[in-house]
Amino acid sequence: MLSRVAESLYWMARNVERAEDLARLIDVTAMRAVDHADDAGERWLSAYNIAGMDVPESHGLSARSTALEAIVFDVDSRLSVAACVRIARQNAVGVRAELTTEVWECVNGLYLFVEAQSPRAVGPDGVSTFLRSIRDTAQAFGGLCDATLAHDDAWEFLRIGRSIERARMTSRVLREIRDDDGPHVWQLVLEACCATAPFARARSQSSDPAEALAFLALSPVFPRSLRFCARQIDRALHRLSGAPAGTFADTSERASGRICASLDFAGQADLAREGTSEFADRIGAQIDELGSSIVSTYFPRVPVR
Amino acid sequence: MRSILDRYAPAPAFDEFAEADGRPRPHYAELAATLAGISAADFRHRVTTVNGVLLQRGVTFTVYADARGTERILPFDLIPRIIAASEWAHISRGVSQRVRALNAFLKDVYGEAKVLRDRIIPRTLVYSSEHFEREAIGVRPPHDTYIHVSGIDIIRDAHGEYLVLEDNVRTPSGISYVLENRDVLKRAFPRLFDRYDPLPVDDYPQRLRNALAAAAPPSVGDPTIAILTPGIYNSAYFEHTLLARRMGVELVEGTDLIVRDNIVYMKTTRGLQRVDVLYRRVDDDYIDPLYFKADSTLGVSGLFDAYRSGNVTLANAVGTGVADDKAIYPYVPALIRYYLGEEPVLRNVETFDCSDPAQRDHVLRNMPFLVVKRTAASGGYGMLIGSHSTVGERAEFADAINANPRDFIAQPIITLSAHPTVVGEEIAPRHIDLRPFALLSGDTVDVPAVAFTRVALREGSLVVNSSQGGGSKDTWILAD
Repeated sequence: MLSRVAESLYWMARNVERAEDLARLIDVTAMRAVDHADDAGERWLSAYNIAGMDVPESHGLSARSTALEAIVFDVDSRLSVAACVRIARQNAVGVRAELTTEVWECVNGLYLFVEAQSPRAVGPDGVSTFLRSIRDTAQAFGGLCDATLAHDDAWEFLRIGRSIERARMTSRVLREIRDDDGPHVWQLVLEACCATAPFARARSQSSDPAEALAFLALSPVFPRSLRFCARQIDRALHRLSGAPAGTFADTSERASGRICASLDFAGQADLAREGTSEFADRIGAQIDELGSSIVSTYFPRVPVR
Repeated sequence: MRSILDRYAPAPAFDEFAEADGRPRPHYAELAATLAGISAADFRHRVTTVNGVLLQRGVTFTVYADARGTERILPFDLIPRIIAASEWAHISRGVSQRVRALNAFLKDVYGEAKVLRDRIIPRTLVYSSEHFEREAIGVRPPHDTYIHVSGIDIIRDAHGEYLVLEDNVRTPSGISYVLENRDVLKRAFPRLFDRYDPLPVDDYPQRLRNALAAAAPPSVGDPTIAILTPGIYNSAYFEHTLLARRMGVELVEGTDLIVRDNIVYMKTTRGLQRVDVLYRRVDDDYIDPLYFKADSTLGVSGLFDAYRSGNVTLANAVGTGVADDKAIYPYVPALIRYYLGEEPVLRNVETFDCSDPAQRDHVLRNMPFLVVKRTAASGGYGMLIGSHSTVGERAEFADAINANPRDFIAQPIITLSAHPTVVGEEIAPRHIDLRPFALLSGDTVDVPAVAFTRVALREGSLVVNSSQGGGSKDTWILAD
């Protein structure tokens, strides 16, 4: 397939995933802030960190509406939900010939829906419903990609984009954890990663926060864990290159293999020793590097051959 | 119940739908009966639904004059235009004949140029054409096919005679609307199809693909075809994506291509892949900065050399624009007689060539009754409709004609035929035209039963171009 097309598919999937993750994060943070008003300011600051954004000056005046404005609606930042949706749609336009009608209409519908909204139009009582619609559509996008596109190279690039963004989000959420955080914080963290029920089913009788964090980092079966996402990327890369599993044909496979190995053979004790935040930070940086080497391997500005 | 047809009054023009006494023509009778059974409120609701569907699908075009680059849906009118089988047979014969003659003309002017020696058409007119490409002289495309895809614009005059208004043999567009309009209308309003069985349009992409495959360089067994688009900001980008998807070929931009040793490749995730046929929707001027506009980024360096070496087929061929130059148009009937030895099936609209002094005088004296067109322009840009112009505008055009007579032609103002069209709460007559598409491989012209009907939505307007407030209709061509 065309390198340009592969690159657009990759960024389209990343941006839809980010829009979904941010929408969930904002919703969960707002819900938790209702129960723990004393800690709300801290949690909103944390949300900016996870989103990779600077904290606006008006934060002190009204944390909730400022966050909503900045993280959801501010299209000038390129990092907000609305900006991600716009970029995803822009990418989709560029690869429209590769998409099924279902996938295209889903992205276009998401774009038209978000563009038509504003903080004023949504109103304070409509926020949760609005964010929910974004999540629903973004998840429908993932489902439609899986169910209507051929699982060929194009699909692998979508899978890589989605998994990289997901892993980054999980690592950024874990990075915000402090040892003295109360139980409501790690519950928020689980919710932000859609992990409440899966973790409840997987945990031991005497579960503690450390176990939840280890679950988010190392679970081999939970689809948003760092380990699971790294495996997805590694598998997709091997399907693209044709190299046997456990070997590498290029720098991106080497990078993904290293990340997989360090996650496959880590345990809860390693997290405790290094510190969850530090561990997440280190893996997050490696995933960013992996992203760069995928770009230079598959979307080179000057073709090699 | 009040139906939307109740107050329909035929236009002071040839009315496609109604006879002079107001009764529906025979092939519209069933449609009239169906429409009579639909309430105004129901109809209004359907219009809203259909527009929503088109926006969601992104069936849009870009308006260049609009600084925001807004995407708009082409207004789609729900009332289909119906063409009887016998009329279509006539149109299709005329289109086929015209395309064969224009292709023979291109082969000749870029080859032996006999038509010029035989003085069928003035030499200066051909060589002064903005779209005559000197570089293409002596380059023979496979099977001598120049015009793989064409769209011939046809109108109906006050007597109902079909006339050719314009030839489009560069990169005619509109086919995507034909495909989408049919699809949307079938879903949103199946009742309109009651008791009609219009010929299907969905096999067009496959027929186009077949024509392109047949045009591949002769040495290629299973050709790789790609569509070259100027990119997402082009007004017809939606059409390029639709065709690529339906034909199952790659949609490439100039930056996706590279030419090495006169061979065209696409840059893929698995290295370079050779391209044999490029259905290019980029004008000649932009395809190769080494030969044409040097600052163009829409094409790729070396493409023309690859084409000239016979390693890639360009569809349409380089230089076809000379055949649809409006100054050449008056000579097309003569070209048909010259190359085919046949009388034209479809007549031209009477046309005054401003490069001829006597005809120029006539034009300058009669401007309020004429349409003046720039010969190199298209899409409804650069024209003056005498009856709808001010003294100042006419003076401006007169000066321009005197300065560069070669760049202008003029035609009498023809009242295009009219068709029932949804206007607010009512149905009223609006002027329409017709663009059938033709596919040429070698000597064979395929005229699929797909045609694009454009409608001037403003009352009394004769300009149907989408850039000038035109809309479109689904066009039903009936089987025998």
